Amino acid sequence: MNFGSPKVTGILPAIRSIFADVLGDDDSSPPVLPAGLPEAVRTLAADGVRRLTDYQGPGYAQLYVDRLRRFAGRRNLDDAVFAEIARLMTVRMAYDDAIEMAQAKLAEAEAGHGIPPDDRRRLRLDEMVSSLPEMVADPVLWALDYVGWLHLPVTLRFSAASRFGLRRLKIEASLKRWRLSSIRYARERAWVERWLHMIDRSLTRQPAAAAAVTATAGMVQGYGDGYTQNLRDWNLIVDELVKPTFDGTLRCDDLAGAIAEARAAVRPDRKQVQLKQTIAGIRARNAAGP
Amino acid sequence: MDTSHLAEHIGAAGSLAASVFVVATYTMRTMIPLRVFGMLTNVVLMITAIPIHSFLQFGLHAGLLCLNGYRLHQMLQLVRDVKKSVNGDLSMDWLKPFMTERKCETGEMLFYKDEKAETMLYIVSGRYRLVESGIELPVGAIVGELGMLSPSNERTQSLECIEGGTVLSVSYRQVEELYVQNPEFGFYFLRLASARLFQNIGKLEERLAEYGTAPTAAVSSPA
Repeated sequence: MNFGSPKVTGILPAIRSIFADVLGDDDSSPPVLPAGLPEAVRTLAADGVRRLTDYQGPGYAQLYVDRLRRFAGRRNLDDAVFAEIARLMTVRMAYDDAIEMAQAKLAEAEAGHGIPPDDRRRLRLDEMVSSLPEMVADPVLWALDYVGWLHLPVTLRFSAASRFGLRRLKIEASLKRWRLSSIRYARERAWVERWLHMIDRSLTRQPAAAAAVTATAGMVQGYGDGYTQNLRDWNLIVDELVKPTFDGTLRCDDLAGAIAEARAAVRPDRKQVQLKQTIAGIRARNAAGP
Repeated sequence: MDTSHLAEHIGAAGSLAASVFVVATYTMRTMIPLRVFGMLTNVVLMITAIPIHSFLQFGLHAGLLCLNGYRLHQMLQLVRDVKKSVNGDLSMDWLKPFMTERKCETGEMLFYKDEKAETMLYIVSGRYRLVESGIELPVGAIVGELGMLSPSNERTQSLECIEGGTVLSVSYRQVEELYVQNPEFGFYFLRLASARLFQNIGKLEERLAEYGTAPTAAVSSPA
């Protein structure tokens, strides 16, 4: 069979495309930054595109650019806040999961500066499972919940010291193909959208608080129990202070100050006692205010 | 009389006919002819199985015939429903069998403004409000049907659940698949989406006319 003939040349790309689709390959073209971005933002955005292309692929980097585009030319948004949005969005979109940890260790090994030291990371069982595609993760999470092992800590070792270790890292890193169909990604996506929505509302309702609202993304980082706690603290501040202010159910004229006060009260406490007290104080003060 | 010789010939002729139908089935580009040819192949293979007493083959193709028939019925029903909707109340109820149920809690955001749209929603119960405009959507409303056809694919408003309830959702990808599999459905779907768009434009024009006449009336009325 002559595979070079015009009729057959279409078959091989078709087969490749079917496999790429099944394997989740990202064959999008590299994204182009929107025109009119301030210089400070452009540099950070270009870094963001590079980071997210390595992290997931050009299609994911395009999502970053599309999200950034919403703020281009926006009134009340100064360049410094815009640059911070670009920086923090890169960090939040390249969230820490077991796949990313394997990718990072592989990148270290491939950088050619000798054998990198092993990493030991303490994750949660539900955190690991939620990085798998929803179809697989859902029944596993249900079973783990049933036996009460959902939040069990799991220590993972990422090592590039042996051939076996390198092979394991490559397999783990290859799971990125299915990252965008995972439960974790759905949650992260909703989180980023909520954060951007709060910035957007802040620019309309209280532009002076936009920098403080943007900076809250810095709270939510890491992995394991720490990450879960950070997320709960962020949700509490947004649910009890930021959103009610924008909805008009809380009259907080200095939202930036209130956020700073609440953030200062964040402690590594699962019950969030101090944070809840501080927020209650802020709410009482603003309810009783003029 | 020895009939095994005859059975052998019928079997060979049946296999040849079935092969022709199998090839024909695989060459079909769209879903309805593919199902029809699939059913014809099943019938031929069932007939072929009788003289050679292959009950397993008969049973298998009888089952596949039912399955193909059911799927064909679903496709034809879908086209009928969309066609009816275009000529009737422009409702999107025909999408319900393809949608999955989702429970929503009070305060939950279903989507945010400017977010990339990927799903269409049908409100079954509860209360939902478009945050930016403050408009409350009634039960039975469809959200995001035009987003699928818009070039930017972005949500124009945020949707918040203000009283817990249920929505049905279908991804744009699923609708696209229906569209590609079934060109007739695609044609009527486009007509339906355009009709709904024109309906929205009509409503906007009415509102504009109301806004336009209100100040004029106030000005023209004597002080």
